[in-house]
Amino acid sequence: MVALLRCSAGLLPPDRREWAEAARSEAAEVPAGRQQLSWLAGGMWLTVREAGLGGRLGYPLAFAAAAAGTAWSAWSGPPGDSAVVINRVDVITIAVILAGLPWLIRRARGPVADGRLARLVRTGGYAAVLALGVVKAAVERVADAPPNNSRGPAVAWIGEVVFLMVMAGYAAVILACTARRSPASPATVAVGTAAGVALGIAVYALGPLGFPLRFTGWWPARLYDAATAAGVLLALGTPVAAVRAAARRSGRARTAGSRAGQGALAGLCTGAVAALVVAVLSTATIALLPYAGGLRDWAAGHIGQWTPAVGQMTPVVGARLGYVAGNSAFAAGYLIVLLLSPLFGWGLGAWAVRIAGFPGPSRPRRPAGGPPAPASPARSSPPSSR
Amino acid sequence: MVVGHRSRFSAQTLAVLAELCATSSQWRHGYGIARDTGLKSGTLYPVLIRLADRGLVEACWEEEQPAGRPRRHLYRLTPEGLAAATAALAQARPAGRGPKDARVRGGRRVAARVTP
Repeated sequence: MVALLRCSAGLLPPDRREWAEAARSEAAEVPAGRQQLSWLAGGMWLTVREAGLGGRLGYPLAFAAAAAGTAWSAWSGPPGDSAVVINRVDVITIAVILAGLPWLIRRARGPVADGRLARLVRTGGYAAVLALGVVKAAVERVADAPPNNSRGPAVAWIGEVVFLMVMAGYAAVILACTARRSPASPATVAVGTAAGVALGIAVYALGPLGFPLRFTGWWPARLYDAATAAGVLLALGTPVAAVRAAARRSGRARTAGSRAGQGALAGLCTGAVAALVVAVLSTATIALLPYAGGLRDWAAGHIGQWTPAVGQMTPVVGARLGYVAGNSAFAAGYLIVLLLSPLFGWGLGAWAVRIAGFPGPSRPRRPAGGPPAPASPARSSPPSSR
Repeated sequence: MVVGHRSRFSAQTLAVLAELCATSSQWRHGYGIARDTGLKSGTLYPVLIRLADRGLVEACWEEEQPAGRPRRHLYRLTPEGLAAATAALAQARPAGRGPKDARVRGGRRVAARVTP
């Protein structure tokens, strides 16, 4: 540890090296054993902090730990089980995609943008993709285990390839939107992400297991119907609202065309984030079914489409749950949601911009009797790049 | 750079200032301060670095190589540091957040962040 501290001091700026040297020399006076080790660890922490290594090493280390945890959680199961093979291929491929894409995106769009927002969105997006890998593996462990695995291996592998391509697309969008030369402004990313999270949670609440809920009482049933109608309006309105907010916040210097682009990107972000949120939450809920008795009881009372087809009914509880989990995940079509929702958001955003007529930034209020407020540069003098 | 009396000091910084203030005429070494304040090295040194950056603490190495141990890095308050520490500690005291309260033991913070 002493040698490590001595070597790592070289990473510090010259005016900080004496402090690491001080921590190392003082260690000789600290009682040997745990106290001395703790003192030296503090010196290492000082070096990491002062050299600014927290960001450079912290994120890769955190990602490596999260990817290892994901692989560990998805690895278990009998070796011959096709679901286990699929899960292992899934987690390894996802880890490779998430580790390799930043290098490619960095060449095209530059490193991560300055500020907390970009880091937050990247970290959250990566965490969501890894979490989806974990919960999907948990669902497939029961859904694809015999006798639930009604789909053939070819169909299963085609589905996996599509899933992995979709995940690669999501990772690329997350990285590109948070890069220094991102086509999306920070305001667009912030508005789109916030709107997407809200929309995803709302959609999840309306059908946490992929099926619409069933209520027996008149009032609960009417309330649920009303909530569903509101959810549909929310699904349509949130991308539009995000588009307008992003277009307005995109700054005075932007052209109308640029604001329109930001609006469409806001719609894309909203759709992508909402799909990711609803897929993670719903798949996690489905994955919990075999282990949570309370959730099963609640689901049995509120979901009507659980009756398996003739011939698939089995008295074995685990197998039936596996059928339910698989059927639920399939019925919800999360892969399709993940695939289409960003495109839907982007299209809706582009349409909203066209209809709204490129809303510009708010202009300063004209004082009473004073001279007219200057027009925004975007309106009065369009840049030559337009 | 002299820091005004309305500077923000954390409980840990106040503990270090109190320790240095109590022995303002002497040079102190890092482990001695850590032992008397209960701060870990990973907390103490960043505090000392910030205080030195702000001109409140001066640091130097022992001039001569002592027998049997490495040279120590020594610290004491500058005149500006002494004034700022006295003011900050006096301001913290009426609110029950004096140097004793600001001290931390075993890395646990026992006083709220002081925001005079």
